[in-house]
Amino acid sequence: MGEVILTMKDIDKSFPGVHALDHVSFEVCKGEVHALMGENGAGKSTLMKVLTGIYTKDSGTIIYEGKEVTFHNTREAQDAGVVIVHQELNMIGDLTVAQNIFIGREFMKGFRIDDKKMIAESRKLFDELHIDIDPQAKMNDLTVGKQQMCEIAKAISHQAKVIIFDEPSAALTEKEIEDLFAIIRDLRERQLGIVYISHRMDEIKVITDRVTVMRDGTYVGTLITKECTKEDIINMMVGRVIYEEPKTKSLVPPDAPVVLKVEHLNAGRMVQDVSFELHRGEILGFSGLMGAGRTETARALFGADPKQSGDIYVNGKKIEINSPEDAVKAGIGYLSEDRKRYGIVVQKSITQNSTLACLDRYVNGPFLNKKAEREITQKYIDELSTKTPGPDQLVVNLSGGNQQKVVIAKWLIQNCDILIFDEPTRGIDVGAKNEIYKLMARLAAEGKSIIMISSEMTEILRMSDRILVMCEGRKTGEIPIEEATQELIMDKATRNIQ
Amino acid sequence: MKQNPIIKKLGLNRIILTGVLILMYVLFTAAIPNFSSMARIRSIMNYVYFLGFLSLGVTFVIATGGIDFSIGPVMFCCALVAGYCLNSYGVPMPLALLISILVGGLFGTFNGYLVSHWSVPPFIVSMASMNIAKGIGNIFTRSQTVSWPLSTDANGWFRNLIVYKGFPVGLFIFGVVAIICGMILYNTKAGRYILCLGSNREAVRLSGVNTKKYEMLAYVICGVLVGIAAIFFVGAYTTVQPGYGDQYNNEAIAGCVMGGTSMVGGLASIGGTVIGVFIISLLQSGILAFGMAKDVQLITTGIIVIIAVYADVMARRRKN
Repeated sequence: MGEVILTMKDIDKSFPGVHALDHVSFEVCKGEVHALMGENGAGKSTLMKVLTGIYTKDSGTIIYEGKEVTFHNTREAQDAGVVIVHQELNMIGDLTVAQNIFIGREFMKGFRIDDKKMIAESRKLFDELHIDIDPQAKMNDLTVGKQQMCEIAKAISHQAKVIIFDEPSAALTEKEIEDLFAIIRDLRERQLGIVYISHRMDEIKVITDRVTVMRDGTYVGTLITKECTKEDIINMMVGRVIYEEPKTKSLVPPDAPVVLKVEHLNAGRMVQDVSFELHRGEILGFSGLMGAGRTETARALFGADPKQSGDIYVNGKKIEINSPEDAVKAGIGYLSEDRKRYGIVVQKSITQNSTLACLDRYVNGPFLNKKAEREITQKYIDELSTKTPGPDQLVVNLSGGNQQKVVIAKWLIQNCDILIFDEPTRGIDVGAKNEIYKLMARLAAEGKSIIMISSEMTEILRMSDRILVMCEGRKTGEIPIEEATQELIMDKATRNIQ
Repeated sequence: MKQNPIIKKLGLNRIILTGVLILMYVLFTAAIPNFSSMARIRSIMNYVYFLGFLSLGVTFVIATGGIDFSIGPVMFCCALVAGYCLNSYGVPMPLALLISILVGGLFGTFNGYLVSHWSVPPFIVSMASMNIAKGIGNIFTRSQTVSWPLSTDANGWFRNLIVYKGFPVGLFIFGVVAIICGMILYNTKAGRYILCLGSNREAVRLSGVNTKKYEMLAYVICGVLVGIAAIFFVGAYTTVQPGYGDQYNNEAIAGCVMGGTSMVGGLASIGGTVIGVFIISLLQSGILAFGMAKDVQLITTGIIVIIAVYADVMARRRKN
């Protein structure tokens, strides 16, 4: 481990309603793999986005190679040698691998793009990293793992001195993770500073030199990996949060009727022959890696995307769902994983969002009954303890957790019996997360049936009565909670990846 | 920072606009002799009527995040077709007025269907239907100018819709229609959906709302209002020439965005549109009274659109 290459000191950043980073400090040395850990929403990604200029910091200093710097955008950071490999891939599917790697800085031959040179350079890069990818392949044709490798190659091609890996292994198979680690070790040899963000404790122990833990936007502490145990790290991460044990047995009575039955659902590459049943009062966890087809299954079921085939039965009756309108009529509600894009109308009030799915009930002749709308909204604000000055508040001014509650209120007011929660706690702080968990448990106890799509293993194990595992568009397992273990789920989630 | 409740209720933007309107009127009156004469005021009002209906119509479309560049030519097409039916086929006047509204409604339906059901960008759709409207107007009238009856003619009674014995009936009708538009936009289910889908179409669709239907409805409402605008246009100016009408697109859109309706959709102000229309009408009258060419007016409206949209963009950026 060499000298310090990057220091972040007292970094502070607020978003409306959230203090995302509260005077956080962090450093990386040359030839070091430094893990950045913390629960979802602890502020790891935000810290890295501040570093690479995606967000502007409110205060604090960043010292890189001995000089104070402020990057205004990723481009500036890249040019200086600070590169981030994102959790979500930033590749253009219709371009080739080589075109993606050199996007924005294409080699030119006069006025023409020199594709040949880009292909040759990509090949050189891949050889160096011992990656076997054809630079002329279309990005869309690669597996998620291979795409990730391209991201890494692209990062390295920027003459990077500091590389940030933001949960790189989330979508990778065992074999791909091994390859990734080989690359990381190689980069460490070359005296690069590496920031490694991950939730996987085992990986942290294997690959990193130091661990910095964050919690709720604050810096908790830094440990030397060799000298600490898994439990030390977990204790730092968890802190005041009361970690509930996983569910040990299903809370669904054995004779609970089937409310939703899906048979042989097919929708594109991501949903292939998916069948399952959902019982009254049950929380059915949908587990799997990124890109396993869980969201696609939910969207096809809900009519948000077209499906090729498949039968859907609600309460034993076969129904046709060709649009969200049909699904809502059948009593199905869908909370999207991407709240801002698909869940809420941010520029409108809580009231307008809450009654969006059932405005038919709030009309007086031709006109809206705004008073009744406001009353029902207030009722659900109280019931879900949404933090807001009142029902007329614009949703844009609420924090993530409270926005999520508005979406939940929308489906509760509509009186849906079947609720699909797609990553219900993504981007929500820990306190609000626990509230959402309690709420889901209560809804199930009241007889609502819930499909919960989640990428967080702890969430799946804590909430589900039964777990359905998907991999690359297929259902690969159905596990009763009594038999579920992390290992078993992961095994099924990686089942048919070569 | 607490906002004054009265300002909040009326909207700061609208208060400023009203101020601008009054200021403009005072300046014009001071600078131009006889500016506040009855004849001048009547001429300004004539402009307000037809432009007002166009502007109200396009407000609905812009609220969905769309745009309609066909309203001016479609208005001419309505007046040409209905007027030709009146003059050449002897259609009774009430039916002719109905035909005008019907033609407008059909264009609105056509635009709306292509935008909502076929997902053709509104810009392209309205550009195309602008030319279609001009073409139909040409073919239908065999490229002849169409004159509507004068007030002394047998069928001239329709002009009473604008002024009856000195009483500005047109202003009254415009006011009532504006109020109805406001009611639709703010107090009905359709209006709520139109505004919400302009803000986030996918979220509204995933709430189980038939977004296509409501998006199309906005264009149909716009079309019907364009048909009404045509009646007030010929009521004031009598003759229509095939192949024209484009210039009113910009003026109607300027009135609308100046009033606080956002070009990206989701926010719309009927009151703002009404004030905006008065400002544009006053401006054109003032420019003509100064003895400047019509082109100056084209330039001014162009600049107003850019400034109004830029202000909207800045306001949004500040909010985020």
